[in-house]
Amino acid sequence: MSRLSKIFFDPYLFFSIFLISFLGLFFLYSASNGDTYIVLKQFIFVAFGLILMLLVSQPDPDLFRRYALLFLIFSFLLLGATILFGPEINGAQRWVRIGSFSIQSSEFLKLALPVFLASFLYSKRLPIQPKEVIISLLIIGTAFIVIAKQPDLGTGLIVVLSGLFVLFLSGLSWGFMGGSLVLLIISSPFLWNVLLQPFQRQRIATFFGIDSDPFGAGWNIIQSKIAIGSGGLFGKGFGEGSQTQLNFLPETETDFIFSVIGEEFGFFGVLLLLSIYLFILMRCFYLALDARDRFCRLVIGGISLTFAANLIISLCMVVGLLPVVGMPLPFISKGGSALLSLFLAFGIITSMGTHKKFLPQ
Amino acid sequence: MIFEERQIEKNNFSSRALILFALMGLGFLAVLIQVFSLQVSSYSDYEIAALKNKNYVIPIQSLRGEIFDRNGRHIVRNEPTFDLITRPDSIKNIDSFLDQIEPVIYLSESEKFIYLKLFKDKAFANKELVLKKDLTEVEIARFNVRSHAFRNAFIDKRYRRITDYPEIFSHVLGYTSRSELPYKLLSNIPISHWKDGELIYANGFIEGKTGLEETYNSQLIGKPGERVYEVNARGRLVKSLEYRPPTNGSSLKTYLDIEAQMSAAIFLGNRRGAVVAIDLSSGGINVLYSSPSYSINKLSNGLSVDELQNLINDENKPFFNRALQGRYPPASTIKPAIAMFGLANKLVDWDFQIKDPGFFTLPEDGRVYRGWKKGGHGKVNLRKALLVSSNTYFFSLAYQADINELALHLSNLGFGKGVCKDCFDEDQVFVPTPEWKYKNVNTAWFKGDTVNLGVGQGYFVATPIQLANYASILANKGKGFELSLVMNSEEYYMPQIWQNNEYSELDWKRMHQALTDVIESDYGTARSIRDLKTFLVAGKSGTAELVGLDSKEAYKELRDTELLRDHSIIVVFGPMPNPKYAVSVVIENGESGGAVAGPVAIEVLKSLINDE
Repeated sequence: MSRLSKIFFDPYLFFSIFLISFLGLFFLYSASNGDTYIVLKQFIFVAFGLILMLLVSQPDPDLFRRYALLFLIFSFLLLGATILFGPEINGAQRWVRIGSFSIQSSEFLKLALPVFLASFLYSKRLPIQPKEVIISLLIIGTAFIVIAKQPDLGTGLIVVLSGLFVLFLSGLSWGFMGGSLVLLIISSPFLWNVLLQPFQRQRIATFFGIDSDPFGAGWNIIQSKIAIGSGGLFGKGFGEGSQTQLNFLPETETDFIFSVIGEEFGFFGVLLLLSIYLFILMRCFYLALDARDRFCRLVIGGISLTFAANLIISLCMVVGLLPVVGMPLPFISKGGSALLSLFLAFGIITSMGTHKKFLPQ
Repeated sequence: MIFEERQIEKNNFSSRALILFALMGLGFLAVLIQVFSLQVSSYSDYEIAALKNKNYVIPIQSLRGEIFDRNGRHIVRNEPTFDLITRPDSIKNIDSFLDQIEPVIYLSESEKFIYLKLFKDKAFANKELVLKKDLTEVEIARFNVRSHAFRNAFIDKRYRRITDYPEIFSHVLGYTSRSELPYKLLSNIPISHWKDGELIYANGFIEGKTGLEETYNSQLIGKPGERVYEVNARGRLVKSLEYRPPTNGSSLKTYLDIEAQMSAAIFLGNRRGAVVAIDLSSGGINVLYSSPSYSINKLSNGLSVDELQNLINDENKPFFNRALQGRYPPASTIKPAIAMFGLANKLVDWDFQIKDPGFFTLPEDGRVYRGWKKGGHGKVNLRKALLVSSNTYFFSLAYQADINELALHLSNLGFGKGVCKDCFDEDQVFVPTPEWKYKNVNTAWFKGDTVNLGVGQGYFVATPIQLANYASILANKGKGFELSLVMNSEEYYMPQIWQNNEYSELDWKRMHQALTDVIESDYGTARSIRDLKTFLVAGKSGTAELVGLDSKEAYKELRDTELLRDHSIIVVFGPMPNPKYAVSVVIENGESGGAVAGPVAIEVLKSLINDE
């Protein structure tokens, strides 16, 4: 065996992520109107993130399993710190500052929760018992409430999804799911009024055309659709998108960076981008099926599906299929902590997917 | 877990994972379909929407056409002035900029105030801003020497609409004033963009408000050009993308004659009145003057509130265009028309004569209608009746007329209707008929009204342009044109001509002779103007009574009140025997027609003949 074979590394995953995050730098350059400072900063995160991913891939999955609870508690503490000490930015407390570096604390929970649930459920017999389900749901619920109160409904929902994915994959009974769905529908008016902030209700109302005001809440989505639609088949060219460059499109570096890509690179550009994402997902699906044990399967499935849900919700919002609540496009939107948590996630996935217990000698 | 259980768990996981990944796949598909519908199916809609976002079209003002007189001399022209324009966006410190420019260009406090008020917005939107209008030559020279120091300012040409004859052409030309409306109708540029238009006039977007400027506004104004700017979401102009030059307005060549118009103004002086002169070969209006007048340049290019208020409150009503809207009894000037009516209806012939005792008694009620000369003119035939202006003759002639036929005859001569194709706001007035009287005075017509009509008094009034038109029909032996100020350049328009054939050539010859004798013979009522000229002139004067009086003595008392004095009226045409021009003159409260209005008419006629 060469030395290289001791490095746990999935070339498909690594290179596709490498490709998409460098494409992301390229898009970010245009989306930020050629702001090299932003791109350089993002580049450092990408480079650091790739290394982080490699490092995180090395430990044996058992290590993650053993420290899962610790990781979860740490994440909750971080969130608590955010609520207590975090600066308020645009009416929301989402960040915690460590030195000159800000971390969006909820990002960690997105990973810690599925890993912990997997470690909690991996040894349970099928079908999993109501007691286990209730414990899992309590943890998921707590995580959601803490994040949703920041308020960050988008991330809160993603965290809920990440937990539910693991629950579902670990064999949650169909009857239980059916019952929960009915309950959810019944309680939806309550959720609407209690959980949603006025501005969030406004966004949703706008989306369903209840309140159509092109210069108010609907402005962003109208401009996003104009940007994407006017890109046509081939796009307007790099740095040539008028919606982007003349600032008609809001939040081009974060939530609406996909619209920039749509405008400047057209349908074929979008197709290429989505293909890479799809490839990453399919690779994860393969790794999940091929993983050495139930814990690895649940972690890969949970994290990669969370990634997929995050991605699809983000895409659906900017193309006008879902109300805009603000969610970055993975690997492409500006933002260090989101990026690092993604690399961390794929590091964990790689670790889970590449460590085999019974290596044939 | 035992092996089988592990296998069951694995299969269970696989199928559940497949469900979730497939769901994600569906999500991808939904996104892809939506993107396809945006970028491919609805591409053109969104392409237009994106262009609408970023393209900001502004209008570029076109140069208004100029106005020329019949000899091709400028009446109205575009005079360049020079404005100092700045680019606020590139001025970093406005105070030091102003400190720097003040020694070069004098700035008043109000100019600075306005500039500072608008500065921020213009800088933000990257638009230009005028700092000072109408620079002097010294200022231009001083600035040009130092222009290298002012990269953020430049001098640009802006026009003013100017006439060299501001007082004498005011009513006929009319004034222009700031208005974006007519431009807006000419183009598809959004209304909100007009405030950013590129101007060529110092006054902004201007339109004609009265006179020729209004009537021919659509020709004069041209078509605005367009400049397409790229703007960002905050409305800042980023760069110019397209430029379509404006089409300048077409100029007007008029029949007006500067010299003759000037004569009218000079000889009318500061009296209230009007002069109209017509070219008999075309129906073109050579002179259209109303007095008192006002400065059209001031009105177009800025008038103080006080000056405007003084003009409005002036009891002589300078804004009132007497030539087109003044209603005056035609008085004796109508007698040739009544004579033509008598001839056509065989009520009289040239030999028919009556005895004029100086008054006419209405048979019905014994009411007496007096002539101007006590004791009368003795035996009077038609020629003499015209020469000496016998009221009695025309009272008795009118007495025999059917009022409706007479009214029709008068309207054939242009009374009671618009006679000018392109005059601004012409008053059509009316020809009184029994129907008219019943409607407006609410009493029945009686014979005395017809008798009064015979000498151009009573309810009958006419405008100076109608009188000139009437004189032109007499001069042209029954041929009438639709009068116009502007020589028609358009192919489709031909002057309207009508010909009255009720009268023989001999009748017309005798009529012309009689009217020539009014001025040229020793007995004519207008003989006082005979020696003012070297050519023969035909005409008929009149003295329009404002108050019906029975005696000269009573009138003498009345004279003390100037505004109750008679109006002096004359219509002339000449040179005889082949007349080229017809002129009407009305002088309000000027008294005796021939002696007062006559000289003005002769001077205008002389100018027209000399200035050909």
